[in-house]
Order: sequence, then C-alpha cells, then structure tokens
Amino acid sequence: MAQAALTIDGLGVDFEGFKAVNGVSLVIEEGELRVLLGANGAGKTTLMDLISGKTKSTEGRVFLHDTNITNWEEHRIARAGIGRKFQIPSVFKELTVRRNLEVASCRNPGVFANLGFGFPAKAKVDEVLELIGLADEADRVAAYLSHGQTQWLELGLLITQDPKIILLDEPTAGMTQAETHKTSLIVNNLRGRHTIIVVEHDMAFVREIAERITVLHLGQVLAEGSVTEIETNPKVKEAYLGSKGIS
Amino acid sequence: MSSQRRIDWAIYAGFVILIMLVPLAMDPFWLNRIAKYLVFGMLGIAVALSWGYAGILNLGQGLFFGAGAYMLAMSLKLASATSLQQGSDKPVPDFMLWNAEPGAKTELCCITKASFLWLPFQSQWFGFAMGVILPVLMAVVVGLIVFRKRISGVFVSIIMLALVLLVRLVMIDAQPVTNGFNGLTDLGWFKVGEFEFDPYIVPTYYLVAGSLSVVLLAARLLIDTRAGVILQAVRNDENRARYLGFDVPAYQTFFFAVSAAIAGFAGMLYVIVSEFASPTFMDLSFSITMVVWAAVGGRASILGACIGAIAINMISATVSEAEGFAEAWKAIIGLIFVLVVLYLPRGIAGLAHDLIDRAVTRKAPAGSVALRVHDASSQLAE
Repeated sequence: MAQAALTIDGLGVDFEGFKAVNGVSLVIEEGELRVLLGANGAGKTTLMDLISGKTKSTEGRVFLHDTNITNWEEHRIARAGIGRKFQIPSVFKELTVRRNLEVASCRNPGVFANLGFGFPAKAKVDEVLELIGLADEADRVAAYLSHGQTQWLELGLLITQDPKIILLDEPTAGMTQAETHKTSLIVNNLRGRHTIIVVEHDMAFVREIAERITVLHLGQVLAEGSVTEIETNPKVKEAYLGSKGIS
Repeated sequence: MSSQRRIDWAIYAGFVILIMLVPLAMDPFWLNRIAKYLVFGMLGIAVALSWGYAGILNLGQGLFFGAGAYMLAMSLKLASATSLQQGSDKPVPDFMLWNAEPGAKTELCCITKASFLWLPFQSQWFGFAMGVILPVLMAVVVGLIVFRKRISGVFVSIIMLALVLLVRLVMIDAQPVTNGFNGLTDLGWFKVGEFEFDPYIVPTYYLVAGSLSVVLLAARLLIDTRAGVILQAVRNDENRARYLGFDVPAYQTFFFAVSAAIAGFAGMLYVIVSEFASPTFMDLSFSITMVVWAAVGGRASILGACIGAIAINMISATVSEAEGFAEAWKAIIGLIFVLVVLYLPRGIAGLAHDLIDRAVTRKAPAGSVALRVHDASSQLAE
C-alpha cells in the first residue's frame, strides 16, 4: 500500500458557532489525484484554506507525511511542500510570464539569500512554459493574458514551485470547453509526479481526471469512492437534490 | 542585456556625469542650493523604493529623514565653537544652559534631565553611524509589527503619518534635550580627518553628489536582484507570494528599512549642507511633498523619482523668486502635480520610457510587433 502523503484527522473550524468544516478525516495517498465534490457551502474551499494555513483550524490535525503542519503560517506550509491554486486566478500581474515562473522557481525564500542576480532555473522554466502552452507569451506582461491563460500560468507557478502536494481550487472556473480540456491535459500530466487535490464542480472535467472522489456536505464527509460509485450513491443524490434541506 | 536595459543604464550614467559637472557652471551659493536639491533627490529614491517597489506609501518618510538629521546634528552641535564657550572644558550646547536644572553643573552628564543622552555624540562618527542605525531600527520595529499583522495600504500610510507627528511633538516638547521648536542651529562643520566640509565649497558638493550617485546605483542594482524581483511580486499579489513560500513581512520590512536608511542618510547630508536640524523636517507637509516629488518623477523609477525631486525644487526656487510669482508658485506646483496625476500616472519617467520604447520599435526589423521588441532587440544584441 502506498504511503499517506496527507493525513487529515478530525479537522474542523468554528466561525463563531458556524462549523464550515466539521470533523473531516481524510487520507490522501502519495501520488493520488483526489477530487473534492460538494454543493456550494459544503466546505470544500474552507477545507483547502485549513490545509494551506489561510484559516486556522479550531480542532483536528493535518499531517504532511509525518510532520504535523496544523495551523502553521502559510509560507511555512508552502515551504514544507504544499502548493495552492486559488479559485480566482492570482498571478503577478505586472511581471512577465517568464518572471512569474522565475519567482516561483526560487528555492531559497530568505531576503538576504536573494541579494544576488539572476534566477538559475532556466531549463525548468522553459519546460513549464511548454507544458502550460505559454512559451510564445513568455515575455508578455501577465496582466495581458486571457482568463484561461492566467489560470494556466498559475498552474505553471505551482509546477515550477514543485510542491509534493498541489491543491487546486476550481482550476476550470470560467473556462470554455476547449480550455477545460487543455487544463485536464495539464493536470493529467502532473499525475504521478505530485499528489493532487482538486475542488471542482464541472463533472465533465471531473470524469476526465478523477480516480477517487470525496463528497463533502455541510462540512462533513458524505461519501468517498470512484466516479461510478459516487454517481450512483443515493446519499449523494439526495444531498445534491437538496431534499435534506439546510437544517 | 536588452537594449532597453542598456539605454536605462546609459541614462543613469548620464545623470551621474551631469551632476558631477555642475560645479563647473555654478557659483558657491547656487552650488550649495543644488546640493540641497540633490539631497531631496535622494529622498525621492527612498520614496520610490518603498512606494513604487514595495507598494508601501509611507506618509511619514520625514520621520527617518529627521532622525538621520538630528543624530548627526547632535554631534555637529557639540563640535560647534559656541558649545565650548559655556564655561566647561567639555562641549555643552548653548541651549542647555538656558534650560538648565537649577543648580546643575555645566556638564553634559547632568545639566538637564536627559542631557546625558548627548554624551556619546561627542564622537562625530557615533552621530554619523546613528544617523543610519536609528532610522533602520525604527523601520524594522514598525515594519515587523505592521507587516506581520498584515496591515497594508492606506492603514500603513496613516500609521506612519501619525507616528511622524507624534515624534515631532515629542521633539518639540523635549526642549531641554532637543532645543524644541528652534531645532539645532549654529552647528560645527562635518570633518573627515582634518578636512572640514564647509557647506559652500566644492568638495562638500562632491560629497553630496558622490553619495547620491552611489545610493542611486545601489538602489537600481538592488531592485534588479532576485529579492527585488520577489518584492515586486509581493507588491503585485501578497497572497500568491505567501503560498509560494515567501515570508512576505520579511521582504516588506527589509525594503522599508533600506528606504529608511536612505532617508536617514539624506537627513545627515542635509545637515551638512544646510547647517541646521529642525522639527519642521517632521512636518506632515514635508513628508507629503516627498511623495509628490516621487509621483511627478515616476514612483516606479528610481531615477525618475530622484529627478522629480530635483526638478520640482529647481522650478520652485526659480519660479518663487520671479517677480509676481512669489505667492503663486505653490499653486503652480499643485497644478503640475494634478496634471501629472491625470495625464502621466507613471510620471515623467513613464513618459520617457514610452518615448524610448517607441523609438526602439521604429528601429526594430519590420514585422516584429511592439510586444516582442525586448525579445527581438536582445536577440540582435547577442
């Protein structure tokens, strides 16, 4: 059996009485691609926030391999090996595409270590430019990229950063069908090299990439299984149809 | 190196040569004036670094300028001839006698309540070192608190604004140690070995011009380092940088401190050429004026902000002395500022940049588009 890359143990957060995530336990294996599904408000993004340190949890623990990274500062979690893509694409808009990737390629985070000139990882940057299909745009300022290209650039930042675990929050939001397909190719390309957790609504995209799916509902794990298992799961159907209501 | 960058460096070199040639054409009076404007140019650099590159609009840069100025001025005050004529064999500032505690000895240790703070300033080099160390310390303390707490944007501006006014108030209030509202006047000359920097001689001008050149080039190099690039990334999107593993507050604090060091150094040079330090350095209007210089010159350009500061001061000096303009010049400066903000949001430097870009595009081989210019010309160059 493969080793666990990320272990989430009873994780929860209490926003003044409202439990957005409530006792979620998950084990993501090394090299796995896990999709998180769930209706709006199910706690998917909050779960990502908890893993990446954006939100501090009020209960439970998160382990990266054997390291307890619960409630570390964001940049320390990132350095420990968890990269994250945001729902709203965020890149360095005033820098060129290449510069964006160069910044992500920087292995030593300290100020004083970076008082030298030039980023050494040119080969890696060129490779990523090819992979995300932005080689022709390398010298353009990122602000001029289309929405889809911006999403890919952010993916490229993550690939260059080379974390052990990649968290993708709706990587195809706002994309056309063709762009969504290209994104699935990029994500499939990463499979095996990284452990990936994807939050996604788009079932077409999910079918293209998913192995295992975890369904969240009202801050808790509702079901876990393969695409077919989830699609035929009565509990999932019920939750999605909303017959349970909000109570 | 792309041709764009080569032109950039050529312009920097041109500026340095120009300020080195000024003494050939100026009398001592004007030379002293220009030296002051060059000091303001250095302040422009400090503002450009923190506002243009780190994205921190500091409305209290005068705090660092004033701190640098006072540190050196304290030493130079003790070096002044009058400080030796107060009836003690060790120097004592004249104003301390006017504020002396009843029955206190005329000694630096105890003449007023806190006069002992002046003791180490008997060494000019202590004052000189503190002129940079104190601003840096203040910037690091403020920076670590403010940036760790993720305070940003206008809130940092307001905190700095409040801070500079607070310190100004304290300085005025602490009359027995600071000479309050009057500031420190009647200073001795800055000395290196036996050489005295009389503010009206050519070597003093070169001290300022040389310092400005070094600071200018160092700042330009600094923003080209990896740290400089990462800082611009941080300014663009703090969160993205954070999730790539960068300790964002460390970067902000570092560049905030560098900006403070430059402002403190400028404060010391200002004391050398103008022979006084005063709480007016920490007036709100002065700190805001610095921001205007940088905005007009171009806050995203180190040299632009520097030239902006020098140019505005030159213009105000000439215009305010022309007959009929004595009162109107402030309005004219205001008008220039409004026009620049409306039509040249990247300042004079932005305009120059666009013009050069256009010139280079015209020279580039037919068929290449504007966006590829950097690329094409760098290939030609290699």
